[in-house]
Amino acid sequence: MDLQLSGVTKIFEPDIVALEDVYLQIESGEFVYLVGETGSGKTTLMRCVTREVVPTRGHISVGGYMLRKIKRYDLALFRRDIGVIFQDFALLPNLTALENVKFVLEIMGLSPKETTERASEELKNVGLWRRRDMYPPQLSGGEQQRLAIARAIVNTPALLLADEPTGNLDPSTADEIMQLLLSINAAGTTILMATHNPHFVDTYRHRVIEIHRGRVVRDEEKGRFDANGLC
Amino acid sequence: MASARYAFRDGWRLVVRHWGLSLLTIFTAMAVFYVIGASTLFVMNVRHIVSKLEDQLTIQAYVKPGVDLDALAKKISALEEVRDTKVITKELALERLRTRLGNQVEAVSLLGENPLPPSIEVRVDKASQVSNTALKIDVMDDVDDVVFAGPVAEKLSKVSNFAGQFSVVLLVVAFLASGVVLFNTIRISVYSREEEINVMVMVGATSTYVAMPFVIQGFLLGFAGALLAFLFVGGTYFSAIVKLKDMLPFLTFIESPQLLYKLGFMLVCCGATVSLIASLLAVEKFIKNAMEPL
Repeated sequence: MDLQLSGVTKIFEPDIVALEDVYLQIESGEFVYLVGETGSGKTTLMRCVTREVVPTRGHISVGGYMLRKIKRYDLALFRRDIGVIFQDFALLPNLTALENVKFVLEIMGLSPKETTERASEELKNVGLWRRRDMYPPQLSGGEQQRLAIARAIVNTPALLLADEPTGNLDPSTADEIMQLLLSINAAGTTILMATHNPHFVDTYRHRVIEIHRGRVVRDEEKGRFDANGLC
Repeated sequence: MASARYAFRDGWRLVVRHWGLSLLTIFTAMAVFYVIGASTLFVMNVRHIVSKLEDQLTIQAYVKPGVDLDALAKKISALEEVRDTKVITKELALERLRTRLGNQVEAVSLLGENPLPPSIEVRVDKASQVSNTALKIDVMDDVDDVVFAGPVAEKLSKVSNFAGQFSVVLLVVAFLASGVVLFNTIRISVYSREEEINVMVMVGATSTYVAMPFVIQGFLLGFAGALLAFLFVGGTYFSAIVKLKDMLPFLTFIESPQLLYKLGFMLVCCGATVSLIASLLAVEKFIKNAMEPL
């Protein structure tokens, strides 16, 4: 699924410029790192792509969906085509690990049998099958993150948005998560990953887009975390 | 189909998850619908009694000598509000007097020649029409005098009207009360699942999909409350009627079981309708906001 941003500007009331005149073209199947300091606009950009936020100016097109004019029902269908890994996991504490994954498929109207099969398979893929009956608060940070990934990819999305997916994780767990994301990308899913982790950006080299004060200041193929290559 | 199954399952889960609140809501809905059911039965019985008494309300039109009774009866029958008329000849009047006197019937012989005047007995549709009709008959040339229970008719008419107005006010208040209670329960459920709803919306749930469990939760609570109210109304009504008949043997009450079935059907339909409307109102705005981008 390709992604296109044309002159996207977002100004929050009263006059906080979160994004300014952003132009981006991300092709289907790409793995893109989104870097920049805290408050630079990475999360706002991702929220514009999921249409949690509507740009003040400019247009966003994702896989043929024109987000500015999208209707409520089509927005629901569009969101079924993408996966989102939230910074804070956003798991449902009252549902078990398996139910957390299943409910995405239930929303899509799949049969209970298919829902259980696919959710179980995804939990096995992220190594959480033995934890399937546990509730999110009973899982470790890394397990919760893997569960969030399982939920985001269970509907085989064409585009995966990951907002700091390795933040707050120890290096070993973070590396597991990164490997998981790379394997998902290898299977053809476009991934846009916001990160502060220089190790991953410099080790697993992919396109790097740097945002500073809402503007794209660097867009580099197989770039490094730091523009000067010092990290 | 899977969505419907989910909606029912999740609606049921909401009821169980907030079981304390659910019980409170069912109990309150039951109390409200019990009041609706009991007051409906009360009003129906008042109207039944009034209608029975109205049947006994007559206007007695005494006619001038030599008047053609049948022709006058026909003329009175032509009045719009008159239900029926009966010609009471001098002989029939005497016969009635004899019956009324019972074992003192001998007293009739003291009257000599039958002194009772012929008359026409008139029945109207409603008690409220008695006075007006009596006036219309009184001004007819062939009519000598008119006798009717004016104050009784007016009081019955007032009772009937009051019962009708009382039932309407009570129904409106009860509906609003049950609606507010259900609305608040669903609102609390919605807010308790705020995070969940936001996640659902983010992963592609439609507003209908998100709203359905809450609507079903409200429906189940309203339905259960109304059903329990019906069972309680049914349980208490007949025993109350037995006692009332002992205390007020001169009055007749409605005793048809079919009436109760109809009332039960009405209560359950009302419960379901009120709860559906309250749930939709409670959930609609919240989901709209959740789906609205910044």
